[in-house]
Amino acid sequence: MKTLEQTTRRDHCSVSAELLLEIQQFLYREARLLDNEQYDEWLELLTDDIHYWVPGVQARYRKDEAKFSSERMAYFDDGLEYLKIRVARAKQPSAWAEDPPTRHFHLIGNIEVLPTEDSNEWTVHSVILNHRHRTEDDEMELKARRVDTIRRNSEGLLQLARRKVILQETVLQAKNINTFL
Amino acid sequence: MTESLLKPDSNAKLAAGIEELVDAEAGNIDRRIFWDESIYNLELERIFARCWIFVAHDTQLPNVGDFLTTTIGEDAVIVSRGEDGKIHTFLNSCTHRGNRVCFAEAGNSRRFTCNFHGWSYGLDGSLKNVSRPQSYSGKSNLDKSKLGLHKARVESYKGMHFACFDPEAPSLEEYLGEFRWYLDVILDNDEGGIEFIDGNIKSRLKCNWKFPAENFVGDSYHAPWTHSSALIAMFGKQPTMRPDRSYHANANGHGWEFGLDFIGNAATLNSPPIIDYLREQEAKFAERLGKVRSRMVGALSSANVFPNLSFLAGHNTFRTWNPKGPRSTELHTWVFLNANAPEELKEEYRRGVMLTFSPAGVFEMDDGENFENCTAVNVGVVTRQQQLHFGMGLDSKIEHEELRGNVYQSQINEANQRAFYQRWADLMGAETWADVPVR
Ligand code: FES
Ligand SMILES: [Fe+2]
Repeated sequence: MKTLEQTTRRDHCSVSAELLLEIQQFLYREARLLDNEQYDEWLELLTDDIHYWVPGVQARYRKDEAKFSSERMAYFDDGLEYLKIRVARAKQPSAWAEDPPTRHFHLIGNIEVLPTEDSNEWTVHSVILNHRHRTEDDEMELKARRVDTIRRNSEGLLQLARRKVILQETVLQAKNINTFL
Repeated sequence: MTESLLKPDSNAKLAAGIEELVDAEAGNIDRRIFWDESIYNLELERIFARCWIFVAHDTQLPNVGDFLTTTIGEDAVIVSRGEDGKIHTFLNSCTHRGNRVCFAEAGNSRRFTCNFHGWSYGLDGSLKNVSRPQSYSGKSNLDKSKLGLHKARVESYKGMHFACFDPEAPSLEEYLGEFRWYLDVILDNDEGGIEFIDGNIKSRLKCNWKFPAENFVGDSYHAPWTHSSALIAMFGKQPTMRPDRSYHANANGHGWEFGLDFIGNAATLNSPPIIDYLREQEAKFAERLGKVRSRMVGALSSANVFPNLSFLAGHNTFRTWNPKGPRSTELHTWVFLNANAPEELKEEYRRGVMLTFSPAGVFEMDDGENFENCTAVNVGVVTRQQQLHFGMGLDSKIEHEELRGNVYQSQINEANQRAFYQRWADLMGAETWADVPVR
């Protein structure tokens, strides 16, 4: 007889506690690299075929159901090449707006790992809060839900292969997004 | 009673003082115009409720019932395509108790029905039905024909729809004046005109709306400095701006700063297919527009239609700066392209603008920071009594064989900014449109 607890685990989260922990640590480490602006190391966490997508979200009536769409404008709709251009700009000494640097943290929660048909890939849901502080009193928060595809590469390391970030806001309550979510 | 509420005495006093705040000829501008509540409130009345404000491109609302919601100044409006096929613009506020009648930012609908007591309005804003109409039987002054949503005038120029709440305002054609000839560089370089790509990125900046508007009307001076990080990351060098081959041009406060380099702006989109398309079309552009204007199609440039519709040729983005108080602005950004351009260019433009001129774009990222700080410092009472300097290119005005309106040599210039503030001061100081000179 299975206990209720086991049944729940099998039905809703049939991955091992070990893997769950490994993926959680992967996401925390990624968040720390972004907090510290270690962008080159962050880029190494991405697969060559990464798709990083932050669509614009619209307030639409339920019958429409088209809150976002891949054909619409987005904040990011990037492959590795575009992400590298953004990183190259952030690293320029003449990125005046980043000096003194923004103080960031990326808080990750509600992590849920689901197996896929590919035994080396998982769908990972999470919620993110990015808090930013600049100069004396310039404070901004970005809040979003994320859906990632995380893949184990041939060397056995986890990498991010796809990320969809659905912001809470339809009107971004900030002048820019000077980080990745 | 109503008269005094609409036109408080202080308006006249304030309006008379505008001249002292803006010396557009010498280029001295008082910083209080970026901070004071009372000046801001007068702007809402005398600029936003009086000028032609861009509300939608034709291709955003292709079908009957398509609508979007936006603002004119701080007045919330619905813009919709009516059963008559025309674009209508009216207040998004029920005539019963004032509730907002539409909460979606875009969609398709036959009616706008109020959540409060169920009055419902048609696509042209007219009142169609009230709930429980029998309750109004007996003595009643419920006249549906008089209870429609308050309408703005709507006129369009080559697919761009503008709305205006002032019945006395000149026609859109007169309002745009000579600037229509320049707008054709974008709107009419190809027989198919332009189309907008779906979606509209919106963001809030803690800045006065005039800082970004004046930035687009003429400030190419900031580009090599502010955007050095993006330029070096993408090209390893600064672009060349040739004073002898570049200009400021303006009419009625609308302005465009531009080079004749053909592809300077387009090149930053990081897309060879876009450059190929422009080069292939160059001869056709020249046929439609003449040689000089054809060289503006993708050139290093920026522009603003007074008061708050900015655009970048070549990058193919339009944007509006919507006032949300003297120190807050809501930016709406769109991407467009030639309707006849090959289908695959849609993706190139859509992604290229996101990489460069969206809130996460490598160029735009540094702009917001500047606009916000230029605004925020004015919290200091001494600071905001200081003047700002707009004195570049005071003697640069030229006569040009082809270029229309007021033309100035060299795009590194502040002539268009002075013209923008001159128009601003003209409107702020004028009791009616009759007192507003053509510039
Ligand atoms: S407020 Fe709209 S129906 Fe009453
Ligand atoms: Fe800029």
